[in-house]
Amino acid sequence: MIGTATALSFGLATGFDRAVERSDLPDVVARFEARTREDVEDRVGALANVEARSLRLEIEGIGLAAPGGSSREGVVQLVPRGRRGYAVVEGADLRGEPGEVLVERGVAREWDLSVGDSLAVGRLGRVRVAGIAVSPDDVAFPLAASPRVYLPEKLLPAGFRDRGRSVNLVMLWARDPGRLDELLVQARSQSFGLENLRFTTREGVRALVDQAAGIVIALLIAFSLVALATAGVMLGASARADVQRRLETIGVMRAVGFTRAGLAGRYAGDAALVAVPAAMAGLGAGALLARGPSGRLLEILNELPPGAAVIAPLAGCLVAIVLLVVLASTWPAWRAASQPPAQILRGAELRHTARRRRTPAGPFGLGLRLALARRGRTLATAGVVAAATAVVLLMLAVASYLGRLQDDPGVIGKRYEVTAALPASSAPAVAALPGVAGAAPRYVADGIDSFALGQPVRLIAFPGDHVPFEDPPLAEGRRVANDREAEVGQGLAEALGVRPGGTLAVQLSSGAEARFRVVGIVRTVDREGRVAYVRSARVVAGDPGLEPEIAIRLEDGVDAADVRPALAELGAEPRPVGGATPRNQAFLGVLAGVLRLVALVNGLICLYVLTQALVVMAAERRSTIALLRATGARRGTIALVLAGIAAVVVALAAPLGVLAERVLLGPATARLAAGYADLPLGAGALEIGAVLVGLALLAGGATAWVARRVESEPVAAGLRER
Amino acid sequence: MLDGVDVDIEPGEMVVLLGRSGSGKSTLLNLLGGIDRPDAGTVEVAGMRVHDLTERQLTHFRRRHVGFVFQFFHLIPELTGEENVLMPARLTGGGSVERGRELLGRLGLNGAAEQLPHTLSGGEQQRIAIARALVNEPDLILADEPTGNLDRAAGAAVLDTLRGVATGARSVILATHDREAATLADRVITVEDGRLRG
Repeated sequence: MIGTATALSFGLATGFDRAVERSDLPDVVARFEARTREDVEDRVGALANVEARSLRLEIEGIGLAAPGGSSREGVVQLVPRGRRGYAVVEGADLRGEPGEVLVERGVAREWDLSVGDSLAVGRLGRVRVAGIAVSPDDVAFPLAASPRVYLPEKLLPAGFRDRGRSVNLVMLWARDPGRLDELLVQARSQSFGLENLRFTTREGVRALVDQAAGIVIALLIAFSLVALATAGVMLGASARADVQRRLETIGVMRAVGFTRAGLAGRYAGDAALVAVPAAMAGLGAGALLARGPSGRLLEILNELPPGAAVIAPLAGCLVAIVLLVVLASTWPAWRAASQPPAQILRGAELRHTARRRRTPAGPFGLGLRLALARRGRTLATAGVVAAATAVVLLMLAVASYLGRLQDDPGVIGKRYEVTAALPASSAPAVAALPGVAGAAPRYVADGIDSFALGQPVRLIAFPGDHVPFEDPPLAEGRRVANDREAEVGQGLAEALGVRPGGTLAVQLSSGAEARFRVVGIVRTVDREGRVAYVRSARVVAGDPGLEPEIAIRLEDGVDAADVRPALAELGAEPRPVGGATPRNQAFLGVLAGVLRLVALVNGLICLYVLTQALVVMAAERRSTIALLRATGARRGTIALVLAGIAAVVVALAAPLGVLAERVLLGPATARLAAGYADLPLGAGALEIGAVLVGLALLAGGATAWVARRVESEPVAAGLRER
Repeated sequence: MLDGVDVDIEPGEMVVLLGRSGSGKSTLLNLLGGIDRPDAGTVEVAGMRVHDLTERQLTHFRRRHVGFVFQFFHLIPELTGEENVLMPARLTGGGSVERGRELLGRLGLNGAAEQLPHTLSGGEQQRIAIARALVNEPDLILADEPTGNLDRAAGAAVLDTLRGVATGARSVILATHDREAATLADRVITVEDGRLRG
């Protein structure tokens, strides 16, 4: 488990840096409406702190077709000589000759393309796939909306050549990346007249990737810690039981002159002898197991696997695990050896004095008493099971949230269920349709902040109050009351450093600027909170060509199919609203699946802990169980005794686990994953119910297995012990 | 360990198996009690061919026909005297408090009913173990060195108790290396190197 978690989290935590290094990702990428090379050369040439640059043409909307898939939304980047900004992971780089194409890894995988295959690229026709490339500036296709390929610059289409506008993308590598802000300010000052200018910085991409990977890494670390704690508690408990059994041997060894340190050293040596190969095998198997899912996730993020670099953290884990095993195995022996040999031989060490307890009579009650007689161990075991339970609950809660994020618009504050592509003037007619509770034009305008360069801002605008249609929780300030005001998402507020009372100035794609006074901060997961809610008047004034969609709230019990005929009469099809954007849905589905799988594996930790606790208890109380069997106890009776022990552990662990998830893990993960939004990551009744039933089943399974194992031991052997 | 052993025990008889440590006394008791199986030969107790029984049947056999008393008592430290006595009966859902009290009373242990084992003397603990062995009214009591962990006075009291329970249809087989125990026996069988002499 630790091997899997380490390999996966190391792969994710370092994947971006690896991909950046291999692909030589530029510090800044600027995209704009195509200009002449000379014009762009002049502007870029005026910039200081530029080590290298690459001026390119990126053409969108190109038809790409391969036997395994096709798209009309292909993106072709024409690559000149010089630095690339991508890593070739298979095949060869472009040599500048016609007839060759470099395909992004996501496209190759999705369309089943290999080096040497042919790909039809727009009017260029069929070209040979020379290589497969990765660039971590965006997620991989199909998570990215468009498939991207690279062609040599000399294939510049005639239309662009004729107009002389051959550059719409500039890649910049800074000489001193620490002074990137100054470079951006300069770039901004040189950008006058450039239309639809968008900056992407390497650090901006990193922030987005870290945000996505951070939650997974945090969960995996929590998962590893639970596994380590489990191992520690279980090893300590079994070592203690082992020392109890070997007390006589320890006493004799001390009597014949073994020092306390020498004796503990022997235990440490024995433990290390077992721990080193076992941990190596376990870590190796775990890392191998992680290769598949880790590789898939890294591919989705357009990152590269760690390769041999993962050996270093795995070696660190090996040392930690061996130390833990040695410590857990040696401590009870060290403690036992502290007594005088005569006392050890009498079994003085580790003996306990039972206390009278009021529990039901019979085998189950006996199990309760046996568990309560070992309070420390029972509490430690319950603590580990509680931690594992909390992690399972968290995984299920996150998976459930992701599931809802796919399907339920309410999760991201949307209160409308369908949209229709109709002009704003149709809104009253739509609102009057039977089954429709409300309808309003919803405008979406993407722009950049006028002050903080390169910060993208999405404006979501309704003509009136947006709350009936979108209701993100208000974190600070108040709601928008007029055309001059804006509610800003927490993510945007943090990025721009604005608070209520401040100004939000957005340069729209039309080139016009729209200014608003910030009156409230809202918490939303939409675009990581980098949105602002405004009234539509100023937005439409700044960008008159902006087309809205009609957001339609349906009455209770009405669905999209019910309003389809009436909308069709108005000339539109209803489009159901999902929680996330459609291109994220597959990713969310994969992520939810991975989390459920991890929850299942964590459930197996619970099973292991419960089983080990019962095995240790059965070993320690070998003579008691042998006595019960000698007096006629069947396997079912022994199982009842063990069930009593398991019941105490589960009864303590279940509420603790639920509490830990709801009070600690859930809120902490929500803050970590999205400080800009309210993520409901507290486990719901369904998850809690499922986990409780699961715990009971696991306890039952562990009980049955240990009872069966106990029965295979000869009764007489257990009775020979004191 | 045991070789060519052939022994018949009559109802109500108290038989002492006398021998040194490692002579095979305990092994013989284990075979008779169905907690061990012979490599060869037959073991018949109360008309049942113990060596042929399945594990499930052996469990039933032990519950109905055999009571054990051990050198180290094997009382469950978390249970009171009375609960220890009743435990074998409760395995089958039976075992009333009255039955436990009655047995403890018969063995002079009224004060021990509510006590946990570690508060009792060795002799008291062993007599509780005897009461436990009797609770299901078995045909055969097997006592393995019951006085081995007791002082002389407590050992004598335990032997007296065992002598007292060998009545009617119930037999007692006592394995010991204490020659004084032989004076109470109906029959003494000496075990030497896995063979019986007697």
